[in-house]
Amino acid sequence: MSLKKQDEMDHNAWLKTQDLTAIETVFLTTLIWLDKRLRIVDYLELLETMYYRANLQMPKSHTEQYDLDNKFWYWYPLYSLGSLSIIAYLVAAVTGALLGFYYAPSTAGAAAQGDPTAAYDSLVAIMTDVQFGFMLRSIHRWSAQFMVAAVFLHMLRVYFTGSYKEPREVNWVLGIVLIGLTLLFGFSGYVLPWKQLSFWAAQIGVEMALATPLVGEWAAQLLFGGFTLGQATLVRMYILHVFVLPFVVTGLIALHVGIVWVQGIAEPH
Amino acid sequence: MTDDTTPMTDGGTDEQARTDGGPPATVPPDDETPTWSERKEHTQGLAQLTYQYFERSRREDEDLRTESTYVERDVLGFPTWPHETLRNLAITSFFVGMIILVSAILPPHFGDPANPGSTPAIILPDWYLYWSFGLLKLDPLNPDLAVLGGNIVMSNELLGIVAHGIIFGVITLVPFLNKGSARRPVEQPFWAAVGAAGVTLSFTLAALAIQNFFPFQLELIVSLTFLLPVVAGVLTYAVLKTMREGYMYDLNRRYYMLRPPK
Repeated sequence: MSLKKQDEMDHNAWLKTQDLTAIETVFLTTLIWLDKRLRIVDYLELLETMYYRANLQMPKSHTEQYDLDNKFWYWYPLYSLGSLSIIAYLVAAVTGALLGFYYAPSTAGAAAQGDPTAAYDSLVAIMTDVQFGFMLRSIHRWSAQFMVAAVFLHMLRVYFTGSYKEPREVNWVLGIVLIGLTLLFGFSGYVLPWKQLSFWAAQIGVEMALATPLVGEWAAQLLFGGFTLGQATLVRMYILHVFVLPFVVTGLIALHVGIVWVQGIAEPH
Repeated sequence: MTDDTTPMTDGGTDEQARTDGGPPATVPPDDETPTWSERKEHTQGLAQLTYQYFERSRREDEDLRTESTYVERDVLGFPTWPHETLRNLAITSFFVGMIILVSAILPPHFGDPANPGSTPAIILPDWYLYWSFGLLKLDPLNPDLAVLGGNIVMSNELLGIVAHGIIFGVITLVPFLNKGSARRPVEQPFWAAVGAAGVTLSFTLAALAIQNFFPFQLELIVSLTFLLPVVAGVLTYAVLKTMREGYMYDLNRRYYMLRPPK
């Protein structure tokens, strides 16, 4: 085999023989230039598949096939509640990350009982000093409320349309776990400002944990950092809220949606 | 021409001297790749069972597809992409806009800093935990659960926690108790009634959590907490049964219009 350059495929000569418009010429020249360097042709098959997937004619759904759209359209919003809770979760994640830049999980700075702590002061600073800080906190709080509401309504929709039935039991159980984690998300976020209601809500949490037999004291120490509330409680709630729960909940949501994707949407019929 | 097994001048053979593992004798040609059933025959134990099951379920699936028409077969689901995904993406911006609008109109309240020394008169969680907080206020029920010599079985707090466990447990068990292909509430009045009772219970428990706002006696509130869900369930059941009778009446009437009884 010789090392002489073989150029059987003279693309440029082939280009000249074609009768092309300016746009086509530019396109093909660019394509050839890129292909010589990046071997785009190897990926063409993938691109082709994507092209056809994106341009596929939508298969008829059950409602379309039997012309039930006139009766069914008002159920559609209920069928998007799961998606809405994910959207609210994303909005809360973005605003929460921004709030995290300014928040300090610390109970330091209180000279006497009832004085503002560093955490409380950082919230006040967010609401009064930071540009758009009040709006940011407002959006974070409201998106959390919307998420919880959407999750509850989503569960009711699934229940009343019997969508949890075989073979979807696993996803129902997964959804209950997700509801519990969503409530834990809300609870831990409620504690973070370290205002009166935060403190006493956490106090009720500790008391509930301590009333549980066998695992109660262990759970109280794990979640609240002890039997009395203080700096340890705040830091644990903070880590739970911004580190543990986001990973766990995001992963479970992905699994939940993945199972829906594989199994398809259960339609009432 | 020398074979791999031909002795060389040093007495050894190519076969013994080779370091590349020999020719790929174990890889079958493409057209001889074993099928699932052939693999099944070669394996044993759990792997064989797995192959057998795959074979069976694939055959079952094929039968379902070929032997029944679309109308008669249960609709197991319609695709997430593109129907559901596109519809949901279309309302995303509207929904996010609603969140921002509400945030702008109703900014959150911010209370006093935490004071471990003074318990506020009203302690409340966010609205979505009212039902849970209501479960912690079931202590008027606790004396009724007494068994031996008037001793209460569990502390008031533990009662609330057990109630949480019961509620989560019941909800988890639903798909394992309710089977079948019925989907609409009309097709399963009982389970729809259970659902309506559950929804009502969550509201009455929330009302129990904020019991101070109601000018009734506590006993009445506790009674209503458990009575109203039953009422709601019975009402739902009655309404759905009636609706179903109505559907059957319509069907029968059409049937008898076609072929009147002799």
